Amino acid sequence: MINLELSYEYNNHVYKLTAERTKQEKEEGEEDAYLITFNGRTYPVTASEIKPGYLRIKFGDKTIKAVIAKGNENRFVFLNGNTFNMKRVLPTSSKKIEKKNGLLSPISGKVVNVKVEEGVSVKKGDILMVIEAMKMEYLIKAPFDGIVKKIFLNVDEQIDMGMMPIEIEKTEEG
Amino acid sequence: MFKKILIANRGEVAIRILKACQEMGVKTVAIYSDVDTYSPHVQLADESVPLGDPTPSESYLNIPKIIDAAVGTGAEAIHPGYGFLAENPDFAYACEDAGISFIGPKAEVIELMGNKIVAKQKMEKAGVPVIPGYHGMRQEKDFLLEQGEKIGFPLLVKAAAGGGGKGMRIVYKKEGLEEAIEGAKREAKSSFGNNTLLLEKYLDKPRHIEFQILADAYGNTIHLFERECSIQRRHQKVIEETPSPVMTSELREKMGKTAVKAAETVGYTNAGTIEFMVDSSLQFYFMEMNTRLQVEHPITEATTGVDIVKWQLRIASGEKLTLCQEKLSQRGHAIECRIYAEDPANGFLPCSGVLTKVEPPMGPNIRNDMGIETGMEVTAYYDPLLAKLIVSGENRKDAINKMIWALSNYVLLGITTNTSFLKEILAHEAFRHGDITTHFIDTHFKNWFATKMEIPVEALIALSVYDTINANTAIQKKEVAVPSVSDPYSPWKHAGKWRISD
Repeated sequence: MINLELSYEYNNHVYKLTAERTKQEKEEGEEDAYLITFNGRTYPVTASEIKPGYLRIKFGDKTIKAVIAKGNENRFVFLNGNTFNMKRVLPTSSKKIEKKNGLLSPISGKVVNVKVEEGVSVKKGDILMVIEAMKMEYLIKAPFDGIVKKIFLNVDEQIDMGMMPIEIEKTEEG
Repeated sequence: MFKKILIANRGEVAIRILKACQEMGVKTVAIYSDVDTYSPHVQLADESVPLGDPTPSESYLNIPKIIDAAVGTGAEAIHPGYGFLAENPDFAYACEDAGISFIGPKAEVIELMGNKIVAKQKMEKAGVPVIPGYHGMRQEKDFLLEQGEKIGFPLLVKAAAGGGGKGMRIVYKKEGLEEAIEGAKREAKSSFGNNTLLLEKYLDKPRHIEFQILADAYGNTIHLFERECSIQRRHQKVIEETPSPVMTSELREKMGKTAVKAAETVGYTNAGTIEFMVDSSLQFYFMEMNTRLQVEHPITEATTGVDIVKWQLRIASGEKLTLCQEKLSQRGHAIECRIYAEDPANGFLPCSGVLTKVEPPMGPNIRNDMGIETGMEVTAYYDPLLAKLIVSGENRKDAINKMIWALSNYVLLGITTNTSFLKEILAHEAFRHGDITTHFIDTHFKNWFATKMEIPVEALIALSVYDTINANTAIQKKEVAVPSVSDPYSPWKHAGKWRISD
């Protein structure tokens, strides 16, 4: 008997489900049966993996055809022509992921210009840094008024997606 | 015909050219950088030459390395594809110097058309309509600011050597002009090694409509009708179709004749494309000429039945163009979607990673030009174009519906791509009505990220079942031995040891 607690992150939300495999012994040609619980509702389903990643799931009079591929924690679910990129997270994760500081590089690339120096004050929307990737330029702008506390990268250095290139200390309002 | 050619490119276009060569009995040489060692284009070619360092300037943009590879393998000609060195006159000259045929126009013509300023002046002289603007050589910032104000706003600032939206800015107000000039100069310098800019009037409700040209060395020049390429993001095309929904037979004839005249004016040979801007009153203006094979060439192939790549090879090897204008016609309607590794909900930022599952849609009149396969890693080194999906139907409506079906059945997992976004565009009322301009995406999808789809409960159920099944096999990790069977042709005989998982 398998009973799993599963948590998936999608679009900054965490979705918690439990999955229970109900039938141990099955007849020839019979599909595996599961009980999936989500949001206080339990869905009894039968399912089979037709070929790796290709699932056919029946519940009630509905049939779900989904294609799933995984890479480490990532799960890509292809359903009705749409792809959902989810992440499997530990069941202890909180319901809502805190929105991080806006100053993270949205892209991997090379720093081509640093417009500010440590210690200067900047206004929201000021251009702080220019990153080049795939021959296009991306501007890193100040997310709020503040003072440049630390610059982590110099011109010609590589930057990875999600890295913090510059730290800004928010100016107190008033 | 050539006996052996080298393809100086990678990805889907390298594969497109390789297949044409194989059909024609021409031997092929591929080149590849370290990160492309296991790429499909390398596997497909008869021979391949490693270029080492994946940085473009050290690999697919490195002229001496590529010329050496061609000389070393005894290739008689080089096909540059599009992008990389396709419109670099130095490369065409280097081929000439090494005694290798360049599959494209003459180096002088690439050079002439590559300089957008000189090209416009030349076209203006030949009586081809051009957009008002400053196309001169004076490049001081104050002078450009003055010229920009004279032309008026909105104003387009773009790199003279540019293309593909790089080094390009639209300026709506006087205040933004200085920053735009600086940014465009910097981007132009890093992308093309030349920071000369030109300024242009920005047209109202503009459409981008281009004409495909084929010309041989004996003075025969024809056009293969138009392609409507107005659906763009960041000034790069994402959906192209032919015929254009606004085209009339009179306008087609007029634009086609102008395109042929433009090509003849510069002594053009091989395949090329004349790009026009068409405004709301159907006035058309020459924008630029692309002196190479175009990304969207398959839609022309689907509606005319002409194989453009094969004609490129024939023309370059000295054959005569035997197609004649009067006998060419367009049949049905074709659409191409460019599948990019990018996130439309996040400013179209390119994505990289491993493609864990790639299964393109199959069906009547569906063509897949792809440079990818399951298990391949997409790196940040090169353009994020993964594949092109081309469909054709009896009419526009049929083609749109087929494209929506095809995109809905395109399994492409592991990296965020733009397929859902493409589907939304095709399903949009304005698109269905053919009511499109180059601003279509900005106008109708500006806040698309805000409507990012809620996750359906079915997706969560499916994923839970999947992870439960996988947890199950991970625990048991069966090693299945080969069953003894008497059938000598049974696949089990040769399967060896295998495992249930993944």
